[in-house]
This record gives sequence, C-alpha cells and structure tokens, in this order.
Amino acid sequence: MKWENWVGLLGLALISVGHYQGLFVAPPEAMMGDVGRILYAHVPTAWVALVVYLVAFVAAVGSLGSGKRGWDALVESAVEVGVVLNLLLLFQGAVWAKPTWGVFWTWDPRLTTTAIMAVSFIGVLVLRAMLNRPAQRAVASAVYTIFAFVSVPVVYFSVKWWKTLHQPFSSPETVDSPMVTPLRVAAFGMLFLATFLIARRWRLAYAKLSREDEAPDLPPAAAAIRLEGGGA
Amino acid sequence: MTGMIQGGWEYVWVVYGATWFTLAAYTVSLFVRERSNP
Repeated sequence: MKWENWVGLLGLALISVGHYQGLFVAPPEAMMGDVGRILYAHVPTAWVALVVYLVAFVAAVGSLGSGKRGWDALVESAVEVGVVLNLLLLFQGAVWAKPTWGVFWTWDPRLTTTAIMAVSFIGVLVLRAMLNRPAQRAVASAVYTIFAFVSVPVVYFSVKWWKTLHQPFSSPETVDSPMVTPLRVAAFGMLFLATFLIARRWRLAYAKLSREDEAPDLPPAAAAIRLEGGGA
Repeated sequence: MTGMIQGGWEYVWVVYGATWFTLAAYTVSLFVRERSNP
C-alpha cells in the first residue's frame, strides 16, 4: 500500500476519535452550549486550509525557481484541496453563525476575507484550466498562487486588525482544558487526511503533466502552419 | 435563564455531516479520476 494511504487511514482514525470526543465527551461550551461542539469540526478545517495554502505557496515558489513539473503538480493539487477545505470552512461557519449570531452570513471582516481567499484560489484553478501550454501555465499559476497567498495572513490577522463578530483565533491556550484534546486530535486527523488528499491529487496532476510533455505541443496541421510562417 | 444557548443539535449534525460528506465525496472523486486516467 502507498504511504499516503497509511497517512489517510491514520487521519481517518484520528478525526473519528476527535469528532466523537467533541460530540459526546467534551462539555458544552459556556455560552454556546451544545452548538459550541461545531468548534471541533470548524477550527481544524480552518487551520488545515491555511496550512494547505501555505503548501501551495511553497510549491509555487519551487515551481518558479526550478521549473520542474513536480512542483507544478503540487501547486495544482494543494490549491484544489485548499479550495475544497475553504468552501467547507465557509459552509461550516455559516451554519454555526445562524444559532449564535442570528444570521447565516454577515459582511464581517473574518468572513469576508475568508470568502475573498476562496475566490482568489479558485482563480488559480480557473487559470490552469484556461491555459494549454504547460510552461506558460506553470509560470502563470505559480505567480497567481503567490498573489492569492497574500489573502492567507489577512484572514489570519483579520480578527486582530478589525472589529469583528468572530471570536479571536482559537488555540489550545484560548480553549478550556477538557476541550483541548478533542480539538488537537481532530486537527491532526484533518492534517493527515489533507496530506493523503494532496498526495493522491499530486499523482493525478503529475501523470497528466507527464503525458503533456510527451505529446506534441500543437496538432500536426497547426505545427506545419507555424513552420511555413517562419516559426513565429 | 443561564445565558447559554439551548438546543441547536440540528446545526451541529449539519456541520459534522457536511464535513464527512465533503471529505468522502472528494476522496471518491480522486479515485474515479485515477481510474479514468490510468
């Protein structure tokens, strides 16, 4: 079995334990009661989405620096997994907002910047789908990923920079001790699951890029026209 | 009155259900794409 499948199984086990503890073992939150149990699903998704975008940023820098298809495949895989987690994060937050704030959505700085972050990285995927030439696509999407990554620290610090309905950034220091263990276990579970998903998606992307490198850049008729035209 | 929100389990189940569904559906989509691009 491939290494990432073991990581995925470990992630599945950890997230199952973390969610079970969060749902049935941890005490109700002091103000939110049982609705506060959403913390154990929402916060690990948020943490890991930001980490996955950091992986995409590192891959983009690696792709620009080396031009190797492995880094380009990592850009594609990390951005896609990051967008999935980002959209899930927005949905979780909207459902949590209804019983606590009274609305599913409000143009709060944390929510708004998180939505902008999702749209920015969706743009990377759209750009990759639009460009056919592998080298051009690799450079363009790496540059765009680096620009899109600017939204990540903005999301992180939005609760410090602006007045917001959203609670401060959650960490083991900001939650009560009986809540720390399920939060940590669920977070590591989500991290391992995301690693599994990125690795599986990377293999798909790398195989596709390898096929493109082996195939001619243009159909034969178009290549002949280019040659007759002086190769311009 | 304690000031604590009462009930709300339906929101909890929706969030956990959506989380598991999303992770499962994306994993299945990867396996389907692997099979169609061997």
